[in-house]
Amino acid sequence: MYPANIEDYQRPASLQEAVAILRGYEPGDAIFMAGGQSVMQAMKSRMVRPRCVVDLQAIAELKGITVDEGLRIGAMTRYVEIAGAGEISSANAALRDAARHVGDRQVRNRGTIGGSCCWNYVASCMPAVTLGLGAAFHLLDAQGKTRVVNAGDFFLGPLETARTDHEVLTHLVFDAAPRTGSAYRKWGLVTDALPVVGVCMKVSLDAAGRCSAARMSLSGLPAGAQRVQAGEKALLGSDGSRESVARAMEAVVDAVECHTDKWADANYRQQLIRTLGQEVAATAFARARGEA
Amino acid sequence: MKTIRVTINRERYEETVPERMLLVDFIREKCGLTGTHVACTYEGVCGACTVQLDGEAIKSCMMLAVQADGHAVTTVEGLASGTELTPLQQAFKAHHGLQCGFCTPGILMNMSEFLEKNPDPTDEEIRHGLVGNLCRCTGYVHIVDAVRAAAAQMRRGG
Repeated sequence: MYPANIEDYQRPASLQEAVAILRGYEPGDAIFMAGGQSVMQAMKSRMVRPRCVVDLQAIAELKGITVDEGLRIGAMTRYVEIAGAGEISSANAALRDAARHVGDRQVRNRGTIGGSCCWNYVASCMPAVTLGLGAAFHLLDAQGKTRVVNAGDFFLGPLETARTDHEVLTHLVFDAAPRTGSAYRKWGLVTDALPVVGVCMKVSLDAAGRCSAARMSLSGLPAGAQRVQAGEKALLGSDGSRESVARAMEAVVDAVECHTDKWADANYRQQLIRTLGQEVAATAFARARGEA
Repeated sequence: MKTIRVTINRERYEETVPERMLLVDFIREKCGLTGTHVACTYEGVCGACTVQLDGEAIKSCMMLAVQADGHAVTTVEGLASGTELTPLQQAFKAHHGLQCGFCTPGILMNMSEFLEKNPDPTDEEIRHGLVGNLCRCTGYVHIVDAVRAAAAQMRRGG
């Protein structure tokens, strides 16, 4: 595994410069490099053969986590930074759950949230988590025009997103509503492996402690990151009890197609959805109540 | 081809390299520092090529050499000062933390940063930190022993 010949390497210092370089190439001939933990593999296996690599490492405005009205995470913010980010509140704590268990330490020191979402590998965690949290994706094109795409419209299917080749993802914005908690948990074949199945859940509670709004998403299935609205609906009114969560997870199991492969059969995947669902619900409800 | 300047173990290297050259090959072939190993076929799965980039453990097969232009790299050759081994290296020797030793440079580069971030780790934290480094000899028990002992030694100021 070794990359094919690369004609040029550019390290722009600004976003404007970055998109201007892309404009000089046909779609696909130049590729943005964030942390490179997916793209390098794709280049080495010759799945992509860019003429030019545009390395985003020097663009300071793509990095960092800030809290204003919501939570803003720069596209080049690394897993290691998200994993340890105390400023991420209960509403978006699923981001920390996911970032702490991506790959290994070396991958977490390089890999970025924006790179993972833009690559949208079928079994990665960040697309499912940003979808489950309802992130807003902010894109910039070569004309300097920005547009905002909701997570539901951003992920089009494995390896496909709404980002065009000439746009750069600058940052993601997350709501940080009160009395809201989220959680993510995956099951993989070895520690921190890609998910065979992962479940992300976000719940808002009313004054009586019952679920007034819910979002739920799955990772690891052949469709890639997918939201499960049947499960969300079934969770409304729940107080987080095991019985009510079990009903919601049955609705999820009924709504999604689980596949059988050599690692896990469909029944086992369904059982993982039920079990992980209970675990993330317990954590998400506790976080929404301010107990965790 | 691009001309890049990379500081490795406090020494400056200036070389002209093809854009597609991986950092691990730059370190081994251009700079002659062969302590950094390649155990898988550059797939990023074995961790033997782990070095520190600006003080953080990364897999050097997972980035291009040109990306390291202007950065500081530390390889296993940069750990000891002369013949004086670091507490982590001494602990690997004392606790038999290696058998064939092929994976050891990568583990040392990962764990030396790990211990800076977490000077008093539990065994579970050590094992979680080792996920990216494959060892096919030891079963990891002696590696965990060595890292735990090094952490204790370093906390005592050694």
